[in-house]
Amino acid sequence: MVWNVVSVTTNREVRMTENNKYWRGIEDQSNPELTEKLAQNEFSNEISSADFLGNDEVAESQTSRRDFLKFMGFSTAAATLAACEAPIVESIPYVVKPDSLTPGLPSYYATSMFDGMDYASILVKTREGRPIKVEPNTEAPFNGGTNARTQASVLSLYDGARLRNPKVGGEDASWGDALAAAKAVLTEKSVLLTSSVISPALKTAIVKLGLRHLSVDAVSASARLDVYEGFTGKRGLPTVDLDHATTVFAVGADFLGDWGGQNLMASYAERRKPGQGMLRHLQAEAGLSISGSNADVRVKARVSEYEAVLAHVYNKVAASAGLSKVSAPELREDIASSIDAAATELIKAGSGALVLNGLNTENAERLALAINLALGSKAFNTSKFVYTANGNDKAAAALVSDVAAGSVDTIVTLGVNPAYQMPSVDLSGVNVVAIADREDETAANAKVALPVSHYLESWSDFSAVDGHYAVGQPTISPLFDSKSAVEIVNALAGGSESAKALVEASAAANAGSTSWNALLHDGFASTEAAEVSMNGSMDASMIDVSGINVMKPQSGLEFYTYTKTGMGAGENANNPWTYELPDPITRLSWDNYITMSAADAVELGIEVAPESNGAMTGNTLNITVDGNTLENVPVWIQPGQTMGTLGLAVGFGRTAVGKVGNGIGVNANTLLPASAAVSTEVSASASEVEHGFASVQLAHTMMGRKIVNEISLPTFMNVSHEEWNEKPTFETHRGPLSAFEANLWDDHDHETSHMWNMSIDLNSCTGCGACVVACSLENNVPVVGKDEVRRHRDMHWLRIDRYYSSEMTAERAEEEGIGAIEKYAKMEVPSESPSVVFQPVMCQHCNHAPCETVCPVGATVHSREGLNHMAYNRCIGTRYCANNCPYKVRRFNWFNYKGNEKFADVNPSQDDYGRMVLNPDVTVRARGVIEKCSLCIQRIQLGKLEAKKDGRMLTDGEFTTACAQACGSNAIVFGDVNNPDSEVSHLKQQGRAYHLLEEVGTQPSVFYQTKVRNRA
Amino acid sequence: MHYESPVRNPLILGDKSYSDITNDIAKPVESKAPRAWWIAFSIAFVMFLWGVGCILYTIGTGIGVWGLNKTVDWAWDITNFVWWVGIGHAGTLISAVLLLFRQKWRMAINRSAEAMTIFSVIQAGLFPLIHMGRIWMAYWVMPIPNQFGSLWVNFNSPLLWDVFAISTYLTVSTVFWYVGLIPDFAMIRDRAINPVQKHIYKILSFGWGGQAKHWQRFEEVSLVLAGLATPLVLSVHTIVSFDFATSVIPGWHTTIFPPYFVAGAIFSGFAMVQTLLLIVRKIFKMEDYINIEHIEMMNIVIMVTGSIVGVAYITELFIAWYSGVEYEQYAFLNRATGPYWWAYWSMMTCNVFSPQFMWSKKLRTNLIFTFVISIVVNIGMWFERFVIIVTSIHRDYLPSSWSMFSPTFVDIGIYIGTIGFFFVLFLLYARTFPVIAQAELKTILKSSGENFKKHHDEHGAH
Repeated sequence: MVWNVVSVTTNREVRMTENNKYWRGIEDQSNPELTEKLAQNEFSNEISSADFLGNDEVAESQTSRRDFLKFMGFSTAAATLAACEAPIVESIPYVVKPDSLTPGLPSYYATSMFDGMDYASILVKTREGRPIKVEPNTEAPFNGGTNARTQASVLSLYDGARLRNPKVGGEDASWGDALAAAKAVLTEKSVLLTSSVISPALKTAIVKLGLRHLSVDAVSASARLDVYEGFTGKRGLPTVDLDHATTVFAVGADFLGDWGGQNLMASYAERRKPGQGMLRHLQAEAGLSISGSNADVRVKARVSEYEAVLAHVYNKVAASAGLSKVSAPELREDIASSIDAAATELIKAGSGALVLNGLNTENAERLALAINLALGSKAFNTSKFVYTANGNDKAAAALVSDVAAGSVDTIVTLGVNPAYQMPSVDLSGVNVVAIADREDETAANAKVALPVSHYLESWSDFSAVDGHYAVGQPTISPLFDSKSAVEIVNALAGGSESAKALVEASAAANAGSTSWNALLHDGFASTEAAEVSMNGSMDASMIDVSGINVMKPQSGLEFYTYTKTGMGAGENANNPWTYELPDPITRLSWDNYITMSAADAVELGIEVAPESNGAMTGNTLNITVDGNTLENVPVWIQPGQTMGTLGLAVGFGRTAVGKVGNGIGVNANTLLPASAAVSTEVSASASEVEHGFASVQLAHTMMGRKIVNEISLPTFMNVSHEEWNEKPTFETHRGPLSAFEANLWDDHDHETSHMWNMSIDLNSCTGCGACVVACSLENNVPVVGKDEVRRHRDMHWLRIDRYYSSEMTAERAEEEGIGAIEKYAKMEVPSESPSVVFQPVMCQHCNHAPCETVCPVGATVHSREGLNHMAYNRCIGTRYCANNCPYKVRRFNWFNYKGNEKFADVNPSQDDYGRMVLNPDVTVRARGVIEKCSLCIQRIQLGKLEAKKDGRMLTDGEFTTACAQACGSNAIVFGDVNNPDSEVSHLKQQGRAYHLLEEVGTQPSVFYQTKVRNRA
Repeated sequence: MHYESPVRNPLILGDKSYSDITNDIAKPVESKAPRAWWIAFSIAFVMFLWGVGCILYTIGTGIGVWGLNKTVDWAWDITNFVWWVGIGHAGTLISAVLLLFRQKWRMAINRSAEAMTIFSVIQAGLFPLIHMGRIWMAYWVMPIPNQFGSLWVNFNSPLLWDVFAISTYLTVSTVFWYVGLIPDFAMIRDRAINPVQKHIYKILSFGWGGQAKHWQRFEEVSLVLAGLATPLVLSVHTIVSFDFATSVIPGWHTTIFPPYFVAGAIFSGFAMVQTLLLIVRKIFKMEDYINIEHIEMMNIVIMVTGSIVGVAYITELFIAWYSGVEYEQYAFLNRATGPYWWAYWSMMTCNVFSPQFMWSKKLRTNLIFTFVISIVVNIGMWFERFVIIVTSIHRDYLPSSWSMFSPTFVDIGIYIGTIGFFFVLFLLYARTFPVIAQAELKTILKSSGENFKKHHDEHGAH
């Protein structure tokens, strides 16, 4: 535009020189003097002040000076008033700013979480005093990782359904009155019923309270605990040390999921690094679990066969070690040889062998223990116990009969919900004092309900495992009138100490030499625990299992319960992320359902099929287990499910948990109590009622495409990666070129600045879903609820694709001469015993991004740092980018999720409390715009600014994305590939690295590492 | 005077004088609307209102009220858009290209064909607007100076090209159409008795006086506009096809799209002209002007373009196989045998097989049959766009994201609404505008009129 101005100026000058006389009018020419005079006296309408003051007309006007002053006074006053606002009384500026709190900058606090099932050592990110994110405490030696539930647990803090004050007989009461009312009903016949207690401070308070105390777990390991209690006197489970294992054989034990209270993700991933000595993983199980999906060999066993499987392995081990055998029933023909082979491998592995049992029976645990001891397993650590599940089902059974007999007058509950999880207890005849976080099924009918604080508001301590002591500190004052559990129990016992004082006293006794401040700073202390003493003759008596009576495998239908990754035992049952996170295996959200094999489905007349919009719908089942019936239970046909077995997840079917969780799914406890391992008294028939599923994935196989690259360990070891990781090439006039070289576009400058890349190791990823929840919380991803997920409108920025293998492959089709149509039709059908792979997919940050070229308004653009940016406030919502994305990672805001009534119950941003969890660094997106993964641009930006303030270069690993941070198995590595020392730049050079859909030419910044299975 | 060979069939039937033509064509404007018109108009108006309701509901609530999902981000919206643009194609072709090729038979149909073009482009233009998540920001697609800094539109985006292509097309078509209308408006003005009506037509006719100079300018402007409009016949649908052809999605990323889309557009446009004119000639008794000769000519065009489209379909299949790209191969296999096989085979039946009947002279001169085929062709062309859009994206690269699409009542409502809107406009037009370009038609009365030809046959050339 500058050039236009120049040309105008030039023209004028030219004109001036050529003809320098211009007239303003005809007068100018005819009478220049007059014109000159007029021009000089432009505003000539002068009135002298004398004339003005002497003007009678003005003097006679109606407006007096008084009026003038009145008007002026009024308008001045009005203007002044209008400028004022009522003073804001609630906003008080800091006179002295707290050291730890700078608006805009997060503070982190170390604490621990224990909810009766999960124990994790964590860091809590707070912003302006609000906890908004849970991060793993990577320095903790025990359970320093987070799973999906731990990640989601921060949202439970802001649950509006929480109990806000004590209640007596359903009426609001003060703490004093409520405690008095509770104490009034406590007698010698009263019982304290809790979930597993691992807090020394709480144990002290319980002892002080002096009631009969018993613990039950929502997911019981009671029978297994009985074994170790019998041998050692301690009610705990041996820890597993995968570092020393070379072959692990898990029987029904989902040790990557919810088995055993120990987070094994990191050590499993470490031991599964491809190469010499890679851990071999064998699994026998009924339903497809996360562990089973990751196994090298998976055997489909029935739950009633678990003991026989273990006995069979034991007998082979015994034979080789010269021990006496146990009488074991015959194994089914189709699994016998696999189990035989597994036993042979275990024997060969010797002290590197590890057998894990997931069946809650004493016999099964005895057998597993005996095998490990007989083989001298170094990975099975019987001198260090974990105590996160220590409930006692026998004591619970005694309680049931005592209640029925009327010998119990009051039950105090803490962390348990007997009305929901123990249907056999009849609470109608007893007083209930519920120490609960909400008016759940038990607390709603309790005589006294005492609100317990969320763990992020509480003082507590933990002794989850031998040699490890941790303290939980509050990160926010209680939102409601609630107290820490330890303080409540202590108060019931007549004490008046604060929770902090109680925990501090406990820490002084338990933390060893670690100071209180160090304990709060680190979150934990390593203590010298007394080794679990196994008495001298123990080994022999433990190994001798010849006397046990191994369970006979059943032939009819059998029923068992299991836990889901999102729900767990059900502690977060009113947390929308619990439901919105798709199950890693079935890829269904917002439901529990019976998992069934395809063969059983045919027999029972069950069909599950997509509707015209792709929403899955199926028949339901009326099922009776041990005389208890549930009607219209949804059924999901699950590849890999052992025929004849029916699994159902616990934690669902709540009626009084809050607006999110009420009425979702069915309560598995009504069919089978948590104490029972399996029931074979099962009858089932298809019901006419149909059920709609919220499935995020419709196709389950890779259709013969190179999406998840997978090779075997021998190939990896012996064959050059150029052969098994061949990069696509294009024939051009310059010869064959790679997808990065054959290029129609101008390349972005990727050398000058940072170049952010991400490596995702498909060998380490177990599919656990922690990253999905972490991403959603970090980036304020909306929760959309069942109906929308059902319409395939989930909003996840990061998803974990799960693929099953199919019996039909391209090679087989070619061999057998099968035509393309039939081939593809058969490829869509997953194998009945599939091999399973997981693949986290987020925006791949293509450096030649198809989305960027098609946006008409340039709302998505490329950064110099290898990122694909999304400018929400420029987006007009044509969705062209989403169509043109080969990875389908772009998500559209179909509705106003933060205002539309449809999402009022599920989306945290519509709840006054839930809104507090939103990350203030990330925009909540408006209706009608596209959103997608930004590789946590807010974290990159913060990291860069911090480095800039300090005047230094960024160091590798200084910050990372939410998904990478949450990943317990370190499968996701983020960093700058322009930094030659960064981990990600090393990973990019690895032979296993490949880009997803590289042949499309998108040049992604995200790359994957080929999966390697330890099998031939 | 132009001499026409006696082997050519007459284009104006009956013993018509100039005044007869004037009377016949002015009659619908000057007389009361027939009952059938009122019935049709009421139905169309209700449909239109229903569509308006659905559009307002969408804008008020969000695109989520449609059946789209994370995988299928376009479905009926863009299907309808391309369908309506395609229909709008015949108008320009008839009025511009056939004018340049001096095809006299176009004179009886070009007015209505062009009206149809404009009305259907209006429908088409609705969809890119309402499919936006934030329609209130729609003006951002215009390269207008703004206060957002140096924010500019993305000239790489085919969607932006669409904005220019469609708006240019609409503007040129409207001007061209209007220029042709001026002498005819003047004719109605001169005959009008009602002063209000007279005044309105006076304004509309721009003071047309019928002088030789007027006629000369008229002819020149027509020719210039025809020249301008001719490239648009190719460009509009070519650019629409770029929306798909420049993408990376198998089934969209196809170089054959521009010619294939243009042929398809002419195909569907002629079918729509056929549908409309068969009704108009019946209701307004214009069988003498829009006679079997016209219908046959259009049927031949339909047959030829239908065959071109058929060849394109088969070429796509061949190239998918020949390319050796597995995604491409699967995309086309999935079209024919996947969950939307019925859409693919509906398309094939309607677009490729049904026009082949037109090889038979008996069938292509049969009015009922022609009418049925014209409807069938437009159904087929709707399916073609649906097949291209939905069956390509519902199963693209990563099977994990495969999905399905099913319309909601809002999707259907908006589509029905645009059909209603189209007919509201067309019916209003048929009652207030001269539906045949009478001024032009009169120029061929003395060469292609039946009475002239008879006279010529009887008395020989003089």
